[in-house]
This record gives sequence, structure tokens and C-alpha cells, in this order.
Amino acid sequence: MAKLVLSKGGSVLYQCFLDKDRVSVGRDAHNHVVVDDPAVAGEQAEIISIGNDHILEDLRTAGGTFVNGRQVERHILQHGDVLELGSFYLRYLNPRVSSAIDLERTMLIDGLYGAADEAGKKSRPSATVARVPSARPGKIRFPKGRIKILTGKRAGSIVELDRVVATLGKRGDRLAVLTRRPHGYFITHVEGRRYPRVNGQSVGKEAHLLQSGDIIEFADEKLQFVME
Amino acid sequence: MPGPRRKIFRNMAQKFIEMAALTDVGSVRQYNEDNIAIDPKNAAMVVADGMGGHRAGEVASRIATEVIFNELKSYIAEFGNAASQYSPRLAVEQSIKRANKSVYEAAQANAAYQGMGTTVAVALFYDNVVALGHIGDSRIYRLRSRVLKLLTRDDSLLRDQVELGIIAAADANESHNRSLVTRALGIEHDISPHIHEVQALPGDIFLLCSDGLNDLVDDSDIELIVQSLKSNLPLAAHHLVQTAKDNGGYDNVSVIIVKVLKPFPAASQQRWVTRVFGWLK
Repeated sequence: MAKLVLSKGGSVLYQCFLDKDRVSVGRDAHNHVVVDDPAVAGEQAEIISIGNDHILEDLRTAGGTFVNGRQVERHILQHGDVLELGSFYLRYLNPRVSSAIDLERTMLIDGLYGAADEAGKKSRPSATVARVPSARPGKIRFPKGRIKILTGKRAGSIVELDRVVATLGKRGDRLAVLTRRPHGYFITHVEGRRYPRVNGQSVGKEAHLLQSGDIIEFADEKLQFVME
Repeated sequence: MPGPRRKIFRNMAQKFIEMAALTDVGSVRQYNEDNIAIDPKNAAMVVADGMGGHRAGEVASRIATEVIFNELKSYIAEFGNAASQYSPRLAVEQSIKRANKSVYEAAQANAAYQGMGTTVAVALFYDNVVALGHIGDSRIYRLRSRVLKLLTRDDSLLRDQVELGIIAAADANESHNRSLVTRALGIEHDISPHIHEVQALPGDIFLLCSDGLNDLVDDSDIELIVQSLKSNLPLAAHHLVQTAKDNGGYDNVSVIIVKVLKPFPAASQQRWVTRVFGWLK
């Protein structure tokens, strides 16, 4: 279970588990976490629990609420986050959810405000489906490559390979795809009777790993692949 | 013994659609709890993402796909019968409900299976329309005129949070609630799945997937991959799965891609099916 640790000058003053739907933080005595510092508002912030998330909300204080040095109005707390409250620090610890892999196990939970029961019915008839972006972790690095077009009308132009795939050739005729992967770029034949050639050699049906400087010939075009 | 690591299918038997399907254990997990099934003859397909301890998730998703397929077959056989009241929409709904009952009863009957459940996404193509059914966070998209559109609404806590404005969509990748579903098949005695029908036009591409795809690959990249590789569906399926794995592959990942090749009014579809059944008799 997640917990909060209040400290000042390096010594721990108070700890509590986040076992309530709402945990309040402020200078006033009625708060769950009382922080006795003149820089802290009577009611400074609230931490709301939803599923595995703990969401910190600033209660529109004049001085604002800061997490890891950044002012936030609303913030999904992450393991190790530190709230600066005057001369106090309030640290959020949630080691279990810091392991992303464990989290990916699908589990069942109650929906919010009966949203699940109403889903698709009357709750939000015209609402567009919320776009929830993917969780792609930022730590995976992809290489940066580009192709130089060597022949034809577009000779000399450069195409950055900054997406997951880029196609070469013409649909319905001859088509190949350049795929960006963590360990490099690959060329793969998609359709057409003739396979792409790399440095004069046909690549066949399988994906072929490109090296910087490789010359690609395909569908009457000649290109050079260059890696940064 | 774990089953085969990957399964791949390609089929063009039903001439108005072409499809490719692929399921993969991912880069991290030991077992694949997803199950997929395609029925080219009846133009039906299912993705199921199981949940539950001790590999019960695998059992739940397998029971669900099997029951849905068997049920769909018997309903589809009734479509040509004038006295029958079954529509594709109703067939999808009833088959998901029956699968729910089967998974629920299996969970009740065996202590090891208690609490198991599964998501499902089901599509049935009939008479120029595709009937879609789903529960949980498996998804169905459609690519039309180069634009990918999500046709299903996840039963997920994260979606609730974003829709209710509790967190901004842009902050959703900070959330820990990604894999929390608010509804699933097999948990309760009775369920009402989300069902709807959309037109299926020649050139349309439908994609059914488990959250192992869309959690790790942005919609814009899914769109680009399907659009770029739509002339080679098995390669498109392979690229989708590979991209999810390259991006971390924390979860099992399953995709079914269906391309509509030409119109399929009921009359011709029915004749074709009757003809095949005629041979079998």
C-alpha cells in the first residue's frame, strides 16, 4: 500500500498509509496530514485514491503546490515524488506500482459513478470516445535514420525515418517498408514480384537489417540509407 | 506445457473479406492468456484477453472464444430461414451472453478457476454490415480513407477517469490504472455486452486487438502501420505485434485484421454458404 512520509531537516516526523478515498494536507489541525509551517495553507492539497492511482490536487492555494520542484494543479503521484511544503517534505512511496510489469496484469474493478453500467447507453450518448494515449515507456530509445534519394526527379532530397514505418515504391505495384526498431532499421518486401536490392543483392522475403551507407534499389529508385 | 508461442492464420475462403490474425505472448510474460479465433466461412472473429490467477485467464479466454464460435455458427445457420428472428446483431449479443454463462459456471464449479474472467471483442460480417460486440478493454478499430477510428468504448477505469475529467488525456500515461477493467465476461451471472452495427464498405479495414497492442502502440502508429501495409495483411499483423514488443511488450498481444474486398449483400452470401454446406452433406 502507498504511504506518505513527512520529514523536516532530514528527520521523519510522521507517516501514514493512503488507505482513505481522500487524504487532506494542510496547516489546520483537522487535516489528515498536518504541516505546521506558515508557508502552508490551512487547506493546502488533497490526495484522492482511484484504483491504483493517487491523484494530488492543489486546493487553489495562493502559493501553489509543488511536486519535485514543479508547480501542479493536479498530478498523478509517482513512486518517490516529493511535495515541498515550506520547510517540510512530504514523500510519496508506492513501490508495488513502480514495477510496471506487475501492473500489466488485467484486473477487474468498479467503474466510476456507475459509468460502467451506463456505458454506451444514456450516460453520454454523443460523447466521443476518450482518447487514451498509449503507455509506451520513454526509456526505449530508437535510432535515427534517414534516406537520401539518389536518382529521379527527387534526387538529392532527404527523408527522415522518424516514424515506426515508412513505405517505398507504389501501392498495387511494388511496395517495400522500412521499419524502425530499437536495434536498427529493417527493409521488408510488401508486394510486387521483385524484391528490393541492398548493395546489389536481393533481400528476398525476410526483413533485412540495414547498415549506414547501404544503397537500396527498388521500383526504379536508388536510395542511400544513413544512420545518425 | 505452454502452447505454441505464436499462431498465425491467413484465409481468403470467404471471398468478400481477407483476414490475418496473430497472437503473441509478448516480451515479458511466461504464458499467453489471450485467445483469438477466426471463422472464415462465417466471416466471424473473436479476440479474448483472459484474467485470473494460476493460468485461469487462459481457460476463461479459451472457453469464451469456443462458446462464441459455436453459438454464432448455429445462429448464422438460421439467418436464411424466413421464420427466424435472428439478426447478426442479436447473434453476437446472444453468443457473448452464452459465453458469459459458460465461463461463470466453470469458475463456480472449480475452485482453481474462481474469479476468472475475460474481455472479448467479436465481429460478424453479414449483409454489408458488421455486427460488433465487446466487453472489457479489447478494442475494435476501423481504417477508412486512411483514418483509424476506434469503434468501441473501453470498460476501463482509466477511460472513466479521462472521460470524467479527473485526469487529462495527456497525463494518462502517468496513470497506474491502465489494466483495470470495469467489466468482464464470466464474473457475473448475467451481462449486457456493448453491441452495435456499422456499415462495412469495400476497402474498409477492421482491427480487433487486445490491450497489449493499444497500450504500447499509439493509435497514430497503428494507423500508419495498417495503412502502409494493408496490401499484405499478414505482414501488417506481424508489424503491429512486433511494434508492441519493441515498445516493451509487457502484455500478451493479439490482433485480427479484416479487409473488406467487395460488397456482400445477404443473398449472395447465403447462396455461397448454402453451397458449401451442400457439399458437406
